[in-house]
Amino acid sequence: MADSTTAPRRPSPAARGASRSPSYYGKSVLNILIGVVAILGANSAFAHHSHAMFDSEKEVTLVGTVKEFQWNNPHCWIQLLVPNSDDPKAEPVEWAVEMGAPIQLLRHGWKPSSLKPGDKITVVVNPLRDGRPGGQIVSAIGPDGKPIGAAPETNK
Amino acid sequence: MIRRTILTAALLGSCLCGAQAQKSSKERIEAFAKLPDWSGLWEFDVYVGESVGQEVSPEGLRKENAYAAAMRPTFNPGWQPKYDQAKKAYEDSVAADPNQPEAGLPPCAVTPFPATMGPGFFQWRVTPEEATLISSQNNTVRHIYTDGRPHPSADELWPTSEGNSIGHWEGDTLVIDTISISNPYIVLVAEPFQFAFAAGPLSNALHAIERVRMVNHDEMQIELTVDDPIALAKPIHITITHERVKNFDRMEDTRDADCDTATDRNPVVNGRFTTIVKPAPATSAEPPK
Repeated sequence: MADSTTAPRRPSPAARGASRSPSYYGKSVLNILIGVVAILGANSAFAHHSHAMFDSEKEVTLVGTVKEFQWNNPHCWIQLLVPNSDDPKAEPVEWAVEMGAPIQLLRHGWKPSSLKPGDKITVVVNPLRDGRPGGQIVSAIGPDGKPIGAAPETNK
Repeated sequence: MIRRTILTAALLGSCLCGAQAQKSSKERIEAFAKLPDWSGLWEFDVYVGESVGQEVSPEGLRKENAYAAAMRPTFNPGWQPKYDQAKKAYEDSVAADPNQPEAGLPPCAVTPFPATMGPGFFQWRVTPEEATLISSQNNTVRHIYTDGRPHPSADELWPTSEGNSIGHWEGDTLVIDTISISNPYIVLVAEPFQFAFAAGPLSNALHAIERVRMVNHDEMQIELTVDDPIALAKPIHITITHERVKNFDRMEDTRDADCDTATDRNPVVNGRFTTIVKPAPATSAEPPK
């Protein structure tokens, strides 16, 4: 029986990724209607693993229209169309917002019906480091102006 | 005469069977009554309070770093080169694509042993014959046989992700003995995999002992000791804490629906997760009508 020397395959399926809208390739102006907020990292002694692709020291606030809310394992996604305020005639930029698995979202008070195509929402994300329009969700405000879901503490 | 003998034997047999079934049923009920109640859902304390985006809380990060420090391995001199080689291979893959520093698993791969240090929910099913640990993460299941059987003989044993586990009860403490783990690393399931959060690679001589008990209504403790005379200069010993999940009681698998990298939003290519643009899966958020 051979000894193992190869790096293990990561057991969790929750990887990071971003969808690039077919209408967006290469660099384009990121349309952020509310400014980037730099936040201090909670612990810089060890680089936090789960933000390998996302910049945990930045928060970007996106105001846009839901194109699609994907309730899927291993990650739910919000595909959000964010208008280009510099050029109203330009195509909106499609952001891919990654979330947890459906059961994790349910625990946080989200449901498959929480968002529909056409909903106008505000989402705060930790953005992708490479500048592509993607990020990991921090929080979301629904079309009614109220936060979607509940903070983890309310589930304890 | 023969017919009477046969009839007598049949009646005697049925009486014996009935008596045996009643006795084992009564014994089994009594055995059940002695088992601790570990019902409910549990979660690894690192992930308590994680956000909807799977962001670990500051307290969770502190705990994670403490676990990582506690499980850092001390290798035997002869084994150190294997670690160095594996770490270099990992670092080379990171350097090749800094945006994807992850050695990925196919979407439906289970979480390997001990499978107790990761996100998601844990659920115990305890019977006199077996304790079963179910994890929502990749629907990972560990079977721990407590019916007195030994590990299988060598000719009936092969390495698996969870290994082969047998156990016994010492009062309310379940003592688990595990061997035969394939590709063993003890991984603190941080995302992505990093050598800072793993102990390994280890050899097929790995032998793990877990002592599991419910400390109080809201806390389970798993004392894990990992011994590997080939790889490790000294055993690894850590105490893992699971907290009771409150206000939530549902288990669901978190694996990709069709286990197909072609449609996964985060496909694995050449052992690495990627950010290839994929079309949205057919599954939508619309509830069935």
